[in-house]
Amino acid sequence: MNRLISILYWISLGTVLCFITLPLIVVVAASLSPTSAVTLQPWEWTGRWYADLWSSRWLDPFLASVKIATVVAAISGVLGLFAAYAVVYERIPGSDALMSCLLSPLSVPQIVKGVAIVLFLSMIGLQGFLGTPALIAAHVVLALPFVTRMVATSLANFDANLDRAAQILGAGKLQRIRLVVLPMIKPGVLSGVTFAFIISFNNIPLSVFLVRPGDSTLPITVINYLEYSLDPVLAAVNVASMAFILTVIFLFEKIGGFSAQLHGGSK
Amino acid sequence: MNALDIELVSVSKSYASMAVVKDIDLAIPQGEFVSILGPSGCGKTTTLNMIAGFTAPSHGDIRIKGRSQVRVPPERRNIGLVFQNYALFPHMTVTENVAFGLKMKGVRRDEAETTVKSALRSVHLEGMGERYPRELSGGQQQRVALARAIAPRPSVLLLDEPLSNLDLKLREAMRIELKEIQQQLGMTFVYVTHDQEEAMAMSDRVVVMWQGAIAQEGQPAALYREPNSRFVADFIGKSNILSVTSAATKAAHLELAVGDDLILKAHKAELAGEIRYCSIRPESIAVLPPAAGGSGCANLLDATVRRVVNLGAAFEIDADLGSDVRLHVLLRATRASVPPKVGDAIRLGIDDADIQPLCA
Ligand SMILES: Nc1ncnc2c1ncn2[C@@H]1O[C@H](COP(=O)(O)OP(=O)(O)OP(=O)(O)O)[C@@H](O)[C@H]1O
Ligand SMILES: [Mg+2]
Repeated sequence: MNRLISILYWISLGTVLCFITLPLIVVVAASLSPTSAVTLQPWEWTGRWYADLWSSRWLDPFLASVKIATVVAAISGVLGLFAAYAVVYERIPGSDALMSCLLSPLSVPQIVKGVAIVLFLSMIGLQGFLGTPALIAAHVVLALPFVTRMVATSLANFDANLDRAAQILGAGKLQRIRLVVLPMIKPGVLSGVTFAFIISFNNIPLSVFLVRPGDSTLPITVINYLEYSLDPVLAAVNVASMAFILTVIFLFEKIGGFSAQLHGGSK
Repeated sequence: MNALDIELVSVSKSYASMAVVKDIDLAIPQGEFVSILGPSGCGKTTTLNMIAGFTAPSHGDIRIKGRSQVRVPPERRNIGLVFQNYALFPHMTVTENVAFGLKMKGVRRDEAETTVKSALRSVHLEGMGERYPRELSGGQQQRVALARAIAPRPSVLLLDEPLSNLDLKLREAMRIELKEIQQQLGMTFVYVTHDQEEAMAMSDRVVVMWQGAIAQEGQPAALYREPNSRFVADFIGKSNILSVTSAATKAAHLELAVGDDLILKAHKAELAGEIRYCSIRPESIAVLPPAAGGSGCANLLDATVRRVVNLGAAFEIDADLGSDVRLHVLLRATRASVPPKVGDAIRLGIDDADIQPLCA
């Protein structure tokens, strides 16, 4: 019986892993395709599509996306931290209602949000904001609930006795936040920030309404290119951005995940 | 008489309409080891939290060194606190944990280093400074928590059941150590526990709490000898509590009627109310052969053995005195002694001073 369960376990694990990774493998293979059609020919490959990535056609939107995602991660990280702090830690009056309010953007489809933001901007005469500023604002709206939620969870798991221990040892509120609360919830904050970065970097449904010609993000540039041609350079773009995202996750994991538990941030 | 370190002046605390602490008066002199002892939920932690400043009293005043503390936040009370779950900062090393309070006080770095070293030495944790709390055993974490609390030299140290997560052996060793540390530092300790042995072993004074009020306070020996209520007699040590149907002063004795028709002779005592119970400690009862003579005992009672339990160092004997009275007797095991067997007839001797009349 146990054997059967264990066999089933391995089969299902394998299936899920294949399901997740096969499309990625196909993309990687396609990006190495020697012909300009997207084909799979594992015995013949070339790296020339990757060389194309250094052209400003791809490099500019990539840098724009990185810039936007960085700013979005920073802003939503700070705002999410403040929001979660007020709601979970200080338990300000009406904090439950406030939390639902903070998470409410999750329940609106992104397309609807995009249309709403465009309408709003033109209504108040701020069409000029389209492009980077609007993208940042919209992505923050999108990412904030995730960040708030993650920080709130780690704050809720924070042992209030640690705060009391610091207090009775003479630490004022700011010192307690800096020396005890922040180091303890750092992994939660950092994973929230990582999430915000990825959400912004990969976003299509919102960005599609807000980009301006010459001021576009990488995913939108890919979509636009796809309308006219389908060639392996797209696969190369995708592989490259996948590698970039994995690097970002890895870096944040290094800073905040395991090592935070070991050394903390009090030095 | 030493200066008073902590005073509670008719302190009460209610949550919603539930009174959790009721009108407590307590004065703790500098350098005393005081235990607050009581069953779970009697308001010990609440009382401690009010002294620390985490909970504001609903009524009354709390003074430290004569100064009212009601508006002083915990971080400015100069009090140490050892938590039941230690509450060590997991992201700091042992040294950083112990140094935290000194850092908050703005103590110079080199001075802090020396103080941390000596605090770690006094809890026998030299050489552990670079470890993180999760790399320590429960007992070691407990010591770090203690070192962290004493390093800034607070005037008062509050301890909330600090040993309850340790195993029995370690707990007994730590009792002695805690007491030694307290005497070395000359610091006032307020020690909360529900373990009466712990309280008896360490304290200069024990405050017994029950249902949010102080049931009795005094030196451990006095509390043991002269409990003032059924609750205290039962909570501190083991006791035989008998219902007294009537009491009368006859000649040199107070005569207490218990059970159907049994009379016990107790010391004459001044009691405020009507005597309703009496308490007899199991170890104060002598087991004699049947029909043994006087030998100075005020009470000689015939009994039948119902049950004998071997506790190793002693035998616990369940004796039936007839007329609906049963007594637990603790008979110390000696090399020569042969404990009575179930069904044996024995005679019990109880000194008049060992019968404590109780009103409540
Ligand atoms: N914040 C609170 N709100 C409402 N009731 C509370 C609160 N804190 C404590 N109580 C109640 O007050 C009573 C005393 O609690 P307290 O924690 O002081 O008990 P204790 O003597 O420390 O018990 P234990 O030995 O179990 O720790 C309990 O009945 C508890 O339910
Ligand atoms: Mg408690």
